[in-house]
Amino acid sequence: MNAAAQAVTIVMVEDDEGHARLIEKNLKRAGVFNEVRHFLNGTAALDFLVGDGRPEHRPLLVLLDLNLPDMSGFDILAKLKADPQLKPTPVIVLTTTDDEREIRRCYELGCSVYITKPVNYETFAQAVRQLGLFLAVIQVPPTP
Amino acid sequence: MRITQSLFGRSSLLLMALGFTALLATGAGMVWLVEATRSFAAGVIATQDVRVTASQVFSLIQDAETGQRGYLLTGEDRYLEPYRRAMEALPHELPALAARIAADGGNVDAVRQLQATLAMKLDELDRTISLAAAGDQAGALALMRTDRGVAEMDTIRSIVNGIETRSIARGEKRSKGLVRTGRLLLAGAGAAFLLILGVTIGAVLHARRYARALEAAQAEVTAANASLEARVAERTAALAAANDEVQRFAYIVSHDLRAPLVNVMGFTTELEAAVAPIGALLAAAEREAPGIVTSDARAAVLEDIPEAVGFIRSSTQRMDRLINAILRLSREGRRLLHPERVDLQALIAGLVATQQHQLDEAGVSLTLAPGLPSITSDRLAVEQIFGNLIDNAVKYLDPARPGRIVIRGRTSRTHVVVEVEDNGRGIDPRDHDRIFELFRRSGRQDKPGEGIGLAHVRALARRLGGDVECRSAPGLGSTFRVTLALTAPANTQPPSSAEDSPA
Repeated sequence: MNAAAQAVTIVMVEDDEGHARLIEKNLKRAGVFNEVRHFLNGTAALDFLVGDGRPEHRPLLVLLDLNLPDMSGFDILAKLKADPQLKPTPVIVLTTTDDEREIRRCYELGCSVYITKPVNYETFAQAVRQLGLFLAVIQVPPTP
Repeated sequence: MRITQSLFGRSSLLLMALGFTALLATGAGMVWLVEATRSFAAGVIATQDVRVTASQVFSLIQDAETGQRGYLLTGEDRYLEPYRRAMEALPHELPALAARIAADGGNVDAVRQLQATLAMKLDELDRTISLAAAGDQAGALALMRTDRGVAEMDTIRSIVNGIETRSIARGEKRSKGLVRTGRLLLAGAGAAFLLILGVTIGAVLHARRYARALEAAQAEVTAANASLEARVAERTAALAAANDEVQRFAYIVSHDLRAPLVNVMGFTTELEAAVAPIGALLAAAEREAPGIVTSDARAAVLEDIPEAVGFIRSSTQRMDRLINAILRLSREGRRLLHPERVDLQALIAGLVATQQHQLDEAGVSLTLAPGLPSITSDRLAVEQIFGNLIDNAVKYLDPARPGRIVIRGRTSRTHVVVEVEDNGRGIDPRDHDRIFELFRRSGRQDKPGEGIGLAHVRALARRLGGDVECRSAPGLGSTFRVTLALTAPANTQPPSSAEDSPA
């Protein structure tokens, strides 16, 4: 399936606009220039991803915050992983929580990477740049 | 009705005393009855003696008269034999009769009367016999025909009869007295028996009532205990719920506080980065057109902005540390305890060993007294408690004197008390409670720290069924006393669900 290789959109579900901006900046600095679709809440994000007008190509990556105003990030993660078309899309959980149980639960639900947003900005920037490296790795078309 | 133990004891004693007195009285009555019977028997014998002696006396007198008559009729001397025997015996028999009447309790006047009459009779006999012996047969008969002797004999008979009758009457009186005494005693014994029976029944009823009262009291105590246990369980559950609530609150707050901080730090750094090209621009402007660079602009770029960024950065870092501390405490509170056998002596010795290098460098002598017990508790929590206290003791030593730290303990039935004593700089008494509060510190703030350690120690000690308290004199040293349950309480809450709370 060739379409996967053409999927270039990054979907970011993040209720904090500041965080979103900082993530975008650091992604660009890391050399990731894909289009970033930013959603401030879970409902809008799910509408876009699994709604009626879902894009033809699945996104390259979903960046997911667990702390959303309208629903828990766990629910979005579970829905994405339950969707046969979206299941292969890597989901990176990027959130303030570093609670072990939450991390474990995310991995159990099928997230690819769990990144804690550190308050220390240098560490934060480092984490997002490593995400760029991760993206470079997963650019390889997945096996159908 | 309530019967106290002492009241029951006293009333039982009273009943017993009453019964015993009744028994004693019955016994005394019996002794008296036996004595009365014995004296009655003696009386019967005395009466008998009086009657026998009286008839002997009378029979002797008759013998004497018979002898006189025989002699007067026949004139033969041998007929005087009974008379002579009677004359010999009578002087002995009369006092004997008097003595027996006296022994019988009778009047001896009758004997005196008898003696007087007898003397007259014997005189008459003697005179007739003397006349007959002198040959004056007619004179003797004439004397007899005066009927004086017959009258005297009648008097004697009636006196003797009187003695006998009175003696019999006395015996009957005694007999009646005995019967009365017997009846009286029987009635007394009956009454005593009834009394003892009553006392026994009373005592039994009393004991049964006491036993019932005891049972009722026991039931009350059991019920009170049960309701107390229920109340304690209720309160414990409520406390656990409240505690859980606080933990969740702390957890959520610290996460939600972190998110804005990410922005503050992030954009501060972005701002700092943005200042760099402006600084370069300023330098270029100063080089090429010094006229357009105002001192305000230079101050803003070179001093004000870096200063502001510096303060924002240090404050944010501090805030981050505080939030992390709350988060850590909250996690610690939510952590499930794993009680296991912990050898306190070995555990503290281990903690001391890891610090030994720093202790040696600082010239601190640390003594761990032997004799700490093994307890059932959460190893990690116990380690954190004593690790924090030893850290503090070392951290706040007084540089003016060589440090000395002593750790010792004692064990009670349910708890172990461990004291960590130092000769450090001490803590102001006003701060003895405050230091256990989160973010609160005491004294000169010349050591790094957020004011978390002791709050953590107290939270842990309380979770392990104990507490920690401080005694200290500023300038002399401090003693922290940790109390821990020998067996830590079971977890009061499930490792509740961070997942349920919005992350």
